[in-house]
Amino acid sequence: MVKRSVIIAGVGGQGLITIGSILGEALAARGYNVSVGEVHGLSQRGGSVVVFLKYGDGAVSPIVTQSEGDVLVGLELIEAVRRLPLMKKDGVVVVNDFLLPPPGSKTVPARDELLAALPRGNTYVLDARELALRAGSDIALNMVMLGAVVATGVLDLESSEVEGVLSKRFKGEFLKINLQALRLGYDSIKKGPKY
Amino acid sequence: MFARIGLILSLDLKIVAKAVISGGPGERRLLLGNEAIARGALEAGISAATAYPGTPSTEIVESLAEVARDYGIYVEWSTNEKVALEVGIGVSMMGLRALVAMKHVGLNVASDPLMSLGYTGVVGGLVIVSADDPNAHSSQNEQDNRIYGIHANIPVFEPSTVQEAKDLTRELYELSEKFRMSVILRTTTRLAHSRSPVVFGELVRHGRGASFHRDPERWALLPPYNLVKHREVLERLEELSKHLSDFKFNSVEEGEEDTAIVVSGVAYNYVKEALEELGVRLPVFKFASVFPLPRGLALKALSYKQVVVVEELEPVLEWQLKILAYDEGMPARIHGKDVLPRVGELNKEIVKAGISRILGIPYEAPPAPVPLVELPRRPPVLCPGCGHRSTYYAVKLAAQRAGVKPVYANDIGCYTLGFYPPYQMADFTWSMGSSIGIGLGIARFGSEPVIAFIGDSTFFHAGIPALINAVYNKTPLLVIVMDNGVTAMTGHQPHPGSGVGAMGEQRPTVRIEDIAKAVGVRFVETVDAYDVTAVRDSVQRALKFLKETGEPAVVISRRPCALLVLRERRRRGESFKRYTVVKEKCINCGICVDRFACPAIVRDTDGKVAILQDMCTGCGVCAAICPAKAIQPKEG
Ligand code: SF4
Ligand code: SF4
Repeated sequence: MVKRSVIIAGVGGQGLITIGSILGEALAARGYNVSVGEVHGLSQRGGSVVVFLKYGDGAVSPIVTQSEGDVLVGLELIEAVRRLPLMKKDGVVVVNDFLLPPPGSKTVPARDELLAALPRGNTYVLDARELALRAGSDIALNMVMLGAVVATGVLDLESSEVEGVLSKRFKGEFLKINLQALRLGYDSIKKGPKY
Repeated sequence: MFARIGLILSLDLKIVAKAVISGGPGERRLLLGNEAIARGALEAGISAATAYPGTPSTEIVESLAEVARDYGIYVEWSTNEKVALEVGIGVSMMGLRALVAMKHVGLNVASDPLMSLGYTGVVGGLVIVSADDPNAHSSQNEQDNRIYGIHANIPVFEPSTVQEAKDLTRELYELSEKFRMSVILRTTTRLAHSRSPVVFGELVRHGRGASFHRDPERWALLPPYNLVKHREVLERLEELSKHLSDFKFNSVEEGEEDTAIVVSGVAYNYVKEALEELGVRLPVFKFASVFPLPRGLALKALSYKQVVVVEELEPVLEWQLKILAYDEGMPARIHGKDVLPRVGELNKEIVKAGISRILGIPYEAPPAPVPLVELPRRPPVLCPGCGHRSTYYAVKLAAQRAGVKPVYANDIGCYTLGFYPPYQMADFTWSMGSSIGIGLGIARFGSEPVIAFIGDSTFFHAGIPALINAVYNKTPLLVIVMDNGVTAMTGHQPHPGSGVGAMGEQRPTVRIEDIAKAVGVRFVETVDAYDVTAVRDSVQRALKFLKETGEPAVVISRRPCALLVLRERRRRGESFKRYTVVKEKCINCGICVDRFACPAIVRDTDGKVAILQDMCTGCGVCAAICPAKAIQPKEG
């Protein structure tokens, strides 16, 4: 049975795939069957990218379809709103407060408009870049978002389990920055109010 | 202002380096479908792997290249898929196992040797991976390469899960050698690019002695032998079809109803989820072997009252089952493409809708939500600092100056993005090398010049024969080779012009200008892609040459891929000067943002243009094109 469906949305180059594969590894270590689906190619070049993660027991398919998502992790506001149709009514949204207008687009919705479109009461907003810089590098932005989604408690994961995966993958200074970013993302959700 | 972006330039670090060999038997790891195939091939003890990069197949050979040295196998990026397959065939003639990987359209290029390979068969196991792309996520079409197997008399297999991708790959080498046939492993984007837990088996180092299996009657495809071989292969397929009913990757799950599902590939997962949500228990026949059919199992499936065939794209299983049912006089009603789409990918909801129609269960699609905000599209873009952008910009200027309205022939690669506004410099884009080939047909009859854009890797892949044709048949066409030194679109694989091989080893560099001159092009110029004036002038000279001589010309516009340069800088911890707009000087003409369109340049909330510092790579091209000299390197 599929237990949870996660959608990770953003722009090519933001490190979405890494979030998916780390979550996937931690969930697989719990004994779940996991599928982390990534579609890239053209979309690597600054296009709109979405990663699907599903886990459960038995067969899990690689696509999240309409109204199926339990959690949406948005690394950019336009892309987060774009994937809302995939979300369950009471799904949880964790979104990076960051707006990147597509180059050359004439009509870019305002930040407030985009925020207003997100489900009130179930949305967490954080400034992931600011936290990543505090951890030591803007590259760790995706780790901040990873920490944030774990903190919502929607997934069957403890922060320590994700830290375990990070420790296996990264070394030295880079590991330190990533762990710190994860922690900052986690705390900001635990402390901070919902949108 | 939109001030904070850096991440767009951040790089997905290679986080799973050597994932395919770091793990012993019984260990469970999260692998990408493509990595699982690579692992399976290593567990089968392959000696060689070849490929031309193409989404969604690239990571198979990429991950093998990463471990090739440690592991003692040979890995190469070949100039094209035909060559990749030919090398694989040669390795097999040496009695060794080989893997050849390509995207679906790549098999078209390799189809010539493929058709004969069906007749000759193999000595060492040979697995050809065809990564199909239902939904054409990153491809020009949705062709279903299972049909190639039928056409070429080569068996086709399809895994359903990432675990199965690994296990099936390993098993196929045994089967390939047992039946002396090469096999096609068909995957699809969703499987190739899904990560799931995989339990590892034992790695095998090939350790086989290589020796050429001399057998001219078999390998020389000459008239008296070909018909014999055609008959032989049909017999072997017949034999294989019987054997496949016991093949462990073909399975049957019992059910309660008199309607059976026959499914192959990743669609199996959609079926399982769909049945669960519909609350019905139908028998499920999962076929890993899609050609030939596992005869015994297929007959068993046909003994049900109804059969629903669930497969992506063409009705390959459905056709075969219908033929079998007719021949054997089985009355089963066979459904498939009557209730499921033949276009695009399947998913759980589509499968649910299809099955419930057959079972007569009411089905309600999940509600379509109403969009609250109108969102702008976000097409992929050329990166900040990309040399292709300045080339396009300069070529447009040259055409304006020359007073011509060229036909822009485009090809396959990052530069295909020149199709989008504001450039719109792709009147067509077809297949590898076609910008030149099709361009020739247009140039022969058109009055305006044809300008063909082609990337470096694509030039080596399939551009050269068309260029030779242009020289030989004296056709005026300007070929602009946009040379960034690598196969960038698929993730920076090296090619004959890069000076390195797949395993990171030093290799001789084949120079594009040498080739152009050697095949007889009399106008060959190389320019710096960032130097807008130089590119513009060179293109203008070339257009003049075309007109005066009626011969082809080649301009090579060169700059290393901006992403690679950036990666290298980051690695070395180097800093560089970024550019900024001096607001007092800016006349707000919009050239930099609307016409040049570097993604780092945006219109700020005050309507004036600004450069996003985190995104700027410091290429300086915008400074050169700004008429008011308002863009300048940033001090400090
Ligand atoms: S091209 Fe120069 S003057 Fe024109 S909008 Fe851009 S910065 Fe301002
Ligand atoms: S220097 Fe100008 S063109 Fe080059 S990346 Fe920076 S903003 Fe873009």
